Amino acid sequence: MVRATFTAWRDRATIALMLVVALTAIHGWCADHPWQIAAIAAFVASIMIGIGTGRLVARRLSFHAYDGLLAADALDTQARRYYLVAWLGIGLALLIVVTLIARPSLLIASAPGYIAGGLFGITTGNLKIPKRIIGTSRPKWTIQAWSRHPIAGAFGTVAVLLPLLPARTLEANALLAIVGVVTLLVVLMLSSVDDAVVRFMTIAGHQSSRIIVHYASGGVVFLAAAVPGCWIILGPGAASIVVLVGAVMLLILALRILAYQLFPKRIADLIVSVLVGLLMLTAYSLPPAMPFVALAIFWHLQRRTRAKRWLLA
Amino acid sequence: MIPAVCIAAANVERSGQRVVHSVDLTIPRGSWFGLIGANGSGKTSLLRALAGRLPFAGGSCRVDGIELAEDRAERALRFGFSPPADKLPDALRGRDVLELVGGKIDNIHPHLDTLYKALDLSPLLERWIGDCSAGMRQRIAIAAAFAGGHAFVILDEPFNWLDPVAIFDLREALREMVNGGLTLITALHDLSTLATACDEGLMLADGRVALTLSDEMLRIAAQNPQAFERQTINQLRSGAAR
Repeated sequence: MVRATFTAWRDRATIALMLVVALTAIHGWCADHPWQIAAIAAFVASIMIGIGTGRLVARRLSFHAYDGLLAADALDTQARRYYLVAWLGIGLALLIVVTLIARPSLLIASAPGYIAGGLFGITTGNLKIPKRIIGTSRPKWTIQAWSRHPIAGAFGTVAVLLPLLPARTLEANALLAIVGVVTLLVVLMLSSVDDAVVRFMTIAGHQSSRIIVHYASGGVVFLAAAVPGCWIILGPGAASIVVLVGAVMLLILALRILAYQLFPKRIADLIVSVLVGLLMLTAYSLPPAMPFVALAIFWHLQRRTRAKRWLLA
Repeated sequence: MIPAVCIAAANVERSGQRVVHSVDLTIPRGSWFGLIGANGSGKTSLLRALAGRLPFAGGSCRVDGIELAEDRAERALRFGFSPPADKLPDALRGRDVLELVGGKIDNIHPHLDTLYKALDLSPLLERWIGDCSAGMRQRIAIAAAFAGGHAFVILDEPFNWLDPVAIFDLREALREMVNGGLTLITALHDLSTLATACDEGLMLADGRVALTLSDEMLRIAAQNPQAFERQTINQLRSGAAR
C-alpha cells in the first residue's frame, strides 16, 4: 500500500522532506524547553503512540484470527505473543531512534510511556462500541452523521454559552480556559471526517470544495453563532479564543479531506500531522510567512485532488 | 440515427499497462449492450473508461455524436454508473448514498421507476451500509447508477451476489426500462442473460475484441441458449489459451 501510494519520485521526495522537517521541529522543540517539560511531553506522546500501535496490532491479529489466511497461527498463544512483541518492538525501535535524534536523555520517559501505552492498546484494541445504545443503532455513525448538520453547530453554541452564564463570577483567566476547553471539545465533535465517505463523494463527482462544505457546515454555524455570543457575554478575548480554535480545526478538517482524496487513511493522517507541524513551526518562527505557506499547501493539494474527481482506479 | 456510443481504436491503461487494445464498438440508442469476457479481459477497465472513471489512452469515443475521448469529466456526467458495491462507505445509510449521487430522495424516486420495487429498496434506505450483506450493497449500488436520471447507464456485473428472485426481477425491470428508451451497457458473466435479455454484445479476450454479437446472433442464441453457451465457452477458452 505504501509503495503504491508513493510511486512518483516527487511523492517520495515530499515525504522525505516532511520527515526531515518533522524531526528538525521535534529536535528544536525539545532543545528549547526545560528537561522536565520535554520529558512530560515525550511521556504523554509516547503513551499515545503506544496506544495507537497496540490497538493497530491487536486489530490486525483479530483480523488474522477471524478473516485472514493465518487463522491457525493467529489463534496459537505462542505465535500471538511473538507477533505482538515483534510489531511493538519495531515501533519501540523507531521511537528510540526519534528520541535519540530529539534529545537522548528523554529515553527514560519515552520508552516506558510507549510500553505502557502499547500494553493498554493491546488489551483494549478489540473493545467496540455496542451496535445499539438506548434504542439508537450504530451510535458512532449516527453521531457522525448528525454532527455534519447545521443544527449540530447550534447545539454546540448552546453547549459553549450555557456554562458561561453561571460561571461569570469566576476569574477572567479561568473563564477563558473554560471557553477554550469547551470550544475545543465541541469543535472536535463537529469536525469528524470519514475517509471512506470522502473517497465515495470524490468517485461520485463531488469537488473538494463541496466535500469541505458538506463536512464544515456544522462548524461554520457554530462559529457564526458562538463568536458573537461569547463577545456579548465575556467580551472580545473569549470571542477570539473561539475564532482561533474554530479556525484551526476547520483548517485541519479541510487538510484531512484533501489528503483523504489522495491517500489511504493512515498515510493521509501522517501527512496532515506533518503539514500541521510545518504550519505551527512557520507560525512560531516566521509568523508573516504562515498564511503563504498555508495557501501553498492548499493550492498544491487542491490541484492534485482535481484529477481524482470521478476517478475509480 | 446517431448511435448512443461509438468507440473506435480505444485503448485503456491501468498502472502504466495497456489492458484494452484498439477496441471498436457501436451501441444503438435504446438498447441493452452486453459485454462478456474472462476475468482480466478488460471489461471493467473499458466500462470505467467509457463512464469517465478512467482516462482513455488513445482512440475515439463519441457519445451522442460528440467526441469525448479527451473529456473524462463530460463522459462521467453523461453516464449513470454503479459504484463498486465494496466502495460504499459503512457509515452511510442507503438513502445517503443515493442522495450523494442524485440529490434529494424525492427527486430520485421517479428516476428509479420499476427498479425501486425490483431492488426492494424501501428497507435499505434507512439501513447502514455497514450492516448490509453483499447482495444488499449491490442493490444500493445498482440504484445509485439510476439515481441521476441518466439516459445512458453502465452496470458492471449487476447480477453478482443477488438472489435468484432479485436477479429475475432486476432483469425484467431493466428490460422494461430499455424498452422505454434507456441505453444500458452491462458487463456480464451470465451467458443466458446475454442471450435472452441483451440486444447486442461484444466478447473481449486479453483486452481485444474476440467476437461481436449482433442482434441477429443473439436472437438465434435466445432460441437455443445451450448451444450458444457451448459455443461461447469454447470461444472464451480459446481466448484464454492465446
